[in-house]
Amino acid sequence: MSETITLADAKAVIENQIEELARRNKEPEWMTKIRYRALEAFERAPHNDPVISEEQLLHFIAKPEVEGIPEHIESLEDLPAELKALLDRLGIEEVEQKYVAGLAVQTDTGVIYNQFLQEWAKKGLTVLPTEEAVRRYPDLVKEHFLRLFRVDESKLTAYHTAVWNGGIFLHVKEGLKVPFPLHLFFLIQESALAQAPHIIIIAEPNTEFHLIEGCTAPILVRHSLHLDMTEAYFGENAKGQLTVLQNWPEYVHTRPMTRAKIGKNARFINTTVGLGTGKSNTANPKYWVDENGYVELNGILLGQKDWYVDLGGEMYLQGPGASGINASKAVIMDESTVITRGIITAEAPRTKGHISCDALLLSDKSRMETYPGLVSKVDDAELSHEAAIGKIREEELFYLMSRGLSEEKATQLIVKGFLEPMLKDIPMEFLVEIRKIIELAVSGGM
Amino acid sequence: MLKVENLHVSVDDKEILRGVDLSVGQGEFHVVMGPNGSGKSTLALTLAGHPRYKVTKGTLLFDGESILNLGPDERARKGILLAFQVPPEVEGVKIIEFLQQVLVELKGIDPAEAYDAIVKKAGELWFKEDDLHRYVNVGFSGGERKRLELLQALLIEPKLLILDEPDSGVDVDSLSIISRKIEELNRAGTAVLLITHYGRILEHLDPGTFRVHVMKDGRIVMERGGEFVNEIEERGFQAIFEECGCDE
Ligand SMILES: Nc1ncnc2c1ncn2[C@@H]1O[C@H](COP(=O)(O)OP(=O)(O)OP(=O)(O)O)[C@@H](O)[C@H]1O
Ligand SMILES: [Mg+2]
Repeated sequence: MSETITLADAKAVIENQIEELARRNKEPEWMTKIRYRALEAFERAPHNDPVISEEQLLHFIAKPEVEGIPEHIESLEDLPAELKALLDRLGIEEVEQKYVAGLAVQTDTGVIYNQFLQEWAKKGLTVLPTEEAVRRYPDLVKEHFLRLFRVDESKLTAYHTAVWNGGIFLHVKEGLKVPFPLHLFFLIQESALAQAPHIIIIAEPNTEFHLIEGCTAPILVRHSLHLDMTEAYFGENAKGQLTVLQNWPEYVHTRPMTRAKIGKNARFINTTVGLGTGKSNTANPKYWVDENGYVELNGILLGQKDWYVDLGGEMYLQGPGASGINASKAVIMDESTVITRGIITAEAPRTKGHISCDALLLSDKSRMETYPGLVSKVDDAELSHEAAIGKIREEELFYLMSRGLSEEKATQLIVKGFLEPMLKDIPMEFLVEIRKIIELAVSGGM
Repeated sequence: MLKVENLHVSVDDKEILRGVDLSVGQGEFHVVMGPNGSGKSTLALTLAGHPRYKVTKGTLLFDGESILNLGPDERARKGILLAFQVPPEVEGVKIIEFLQQVLVELKGIDPAEAYDAIVKKAGELWFKEDDLHRYVNVGFSGGERKRLELLQALLIEPKLLILDEPDSGVDVDSLSIISRKIEELNRAGTAVLLITHYGRILEHLDPGTFRVHVMKDGRIVMERGGEFVNEIEERGFQAIFEECGCDE
């Protein structure tokens, strides 16, 4: 870091971006006002990130782009050589490769809106870039934008709110069951703006959906910091699944912020598959669960190189009979550190919570820490946790090898097997690639 | 084919095998018996290349070449297969996927062909196709595990099959299918080294067709014809050892 950047410098940069966004998005005034309030909050909000110092954050804000990443990507040939080679090795479908490279859409914030989706739109499924939703459904957005976060919770929430751009607005009308997974890629951003997509999910009562965000291929981003925010609202008896696939390049710090309100009898399964977690990845999703509601946070984490991954998760079981599961499985290699710290708070009678953490350490320098938190404010809650951190068992490895598999192949099988039970809800086309990525990672080929 | 000479083996610096001699020729059938703790499994695991069992002395030849420096996978590729006394559970790894991969790698056949072969042989050992989608040994009963070990042997068709107590904990019907399958493999040319405590698994065999080796305190102290199994069963090791002067 060459020059020092002051808070005032950073604020000036943010202000410029707000102006540019307001202009580019032809944004209604109320949204721009929210941005300006966030800008003020940015100054006084606390900063408490385990990896990124305040000085570094200001630097990222003033100079968000990483050097050496091509500005325009028009064909796969424009990709950096290593990325192209990795895509080839993964054998990822050309179509997905194109999506990944942002070739299939025109804008930074584009949603691939095919005919299929248009049919479903008539039935009450809305999938829009968040900017467009702000213009077309102002009332709905006002009602659900930044309702689960406080703008001044931290410098990161304030910064995100001030400069958010991109992201998805998903609205499922009452009673609609979407029978196919909706798949949304994060595309390459061509603009120099901060990477801060804002995702809003509104699942009205008696709905069903499965949203898959991201892809298995490495994502090419031009920024050092990725700050997405997701707010999800589940009406009574709504059942939703959000699967997030992440494969970040190693220079990115990612700070996904996810929160959800889960209504009566509603169910939310939130799975995050961190194949490439980036230089550092910390997340502390929060969930509020009403009567007989259910939430499940599944974390699949592949810690590699010197990456730092910190997955929290706070669940507030607020209605009688509400339940929550926070389960993670981590495979940790090289000199990577993975920390999990779920907290489940039982606030109502007959609530149930369980935290489990399994880790497989593949090297002597890999590190795992787990801090389960169980808080009960009632006397008949059932709260439990379990953790198992270990290495590959010699007996298993020997058994597989004695059937003719090399140590590498046997290790790959064991690692895939370790993660397998958690991958149960992931569609086949991703599974194949996820397994391939795990194999490559285990054999040191990533 | 297999030649073991003066084999000394230690685990965690504790010497367990103390000079084992044993030869198994192509297609032959050999039985190893001996009291609990005499070192039978240690011998089997050492032959298969378990990394914790360290050979401190002696030679181990397979097809005329030393295999002492070969890993378990390389030994398997040379044609040695061990059916474990206690096969471990491998969580999350489906039997079918595991066996497909093994056959693809060992035999170079394609996965679809491997799949068909596995399902067919599995049926012969009373496994249903559903069973094959379970994880390797996870939740399997003792007897089921033994059948699964044998299934692997049938598919891999090794040159030398080492069976460590394929009959213990196995019900009567399973025992009969297991013993028939072992004989089938042997007739097709696989040499067998079978570790057991009971003669029952050998019932259908002509005693003139196999040899019996008796192990005691990390050594093979006697070698006899097949009929010796009955004598061991009738009299027990104590009496036999006293008579032969094998007790030091
Ligand atoms: N990993 C180990 N660590 C310590 N001691 C061991 C180990 N493996 C084997 N031994 C010891 O070596 C001796 C021989 O064990 P082994 O399992 O080879 O006996 P066995 O003849 O197969 O017995 P059984 O008939 O009960 O199966 C025993 O005393 C056993 O406790
Ligand atoms: Mg034994």
